[in-house]
Amino acid sequence: MGHARKLVYGLALTLGLGCAAELSRAPVAFTPITGEPRTLRVKETVSVTPSTGYTRNIRAGSAWRLVGSLPQGEVYRPVGEVFTVEGANVHEAYLVVAQGSVVGFYLPGEAAFAPLPGAVPLPTEQGAP
Amino acid sequence: MKKSMAAAFALLAGCVSGGMKHAELKSSMQALKSEEGRIYFYRTGSIFGVAVQADIYLNGAVVGASQPGGFFYVERPAGKYEAHASTEVSRMVTFTLDPGETKYIRSYVSMGILVGHVNLELVNADEAEKQLESLSYTGPSPVPPAAAAKSADAAPAAQAQ
Repeated sequence: MGHARKLVYGLALTLGLGCAAELSRAPVAFTPITGEPRTLRVKETVSVTPSTGYTRNIRAGSAWRLVGSLPQGEVYRPVGEVFTVEGANVHEAYLVVAQGSVVGFYLPGEAAFAPLPGAVPLPTEQGAP
Repeated sequence: MKKSMAAAFALLAGCVSGGMKHAELKSSMQALKSEEGRIYFYRTGSIFGVAVQADIYLNGAVVGASQPGGFFYVERPAGKYEAHASTEVSRMVTFTLDPGETKYIRSYVSMGILVGHVNLELVNADEAEKQLESLSYTGPSPVPPAAAAKSADAAPAAQAQ
């Protein structure tokens, strides 16, 4: 491979890495929980990959507290930890769970919903952390 | 030999080492106001990209700079925030701050085309507190009282509890 071509490929790679995709998301109405909050504990580590392609693990043993709901599902906030999803930017994120599966993320800093391309089953048990 | 030693010294000179350590500072910090939270910004003393230092913006206003081996903090009303550093590529972190909550944002340098990029990421409290131990305070001097750090650049609180 010629020197010039290597340089072009190198630059293209650098540029590509520097231009991660923006996370697909839309504004959403969040309804805070009114009753007794409940907590879920994750039984097995689950990997979730939003539209940006950056995979995140939902760790086994991590606890998530129900804080409200969206039209898409219930919203769970991590207990004692911070959880983020990323693309071109980094977003603090809560899990949105419907029928036992993670269907996306609620981004509290933007009041937006970022859907997952497909629902991911989340094995959990209920109980206080 | 002399040249390489001079180069190493010049690199190390970019690291913060003389400021107050976190443990000393913590004992003199005022309690948070009931409607406020605290946001730490820090950068570990990695030698990589030591010359790349950038201003850090919180909701559009400069609150400090990313310096290797340094940390500072601001106290803000609960609400929604976005933070970014002023380098070639601007990568934003969005998050919420609850009353009484402390958030930790670490900056690090990654490779860029012309210069390195300063990136920000949210960090868990346990990890951040350990890393803060060895870092030096780079905020305003004297340590700002909680009241001085308050500003109106936060959006109204509207978040999950």
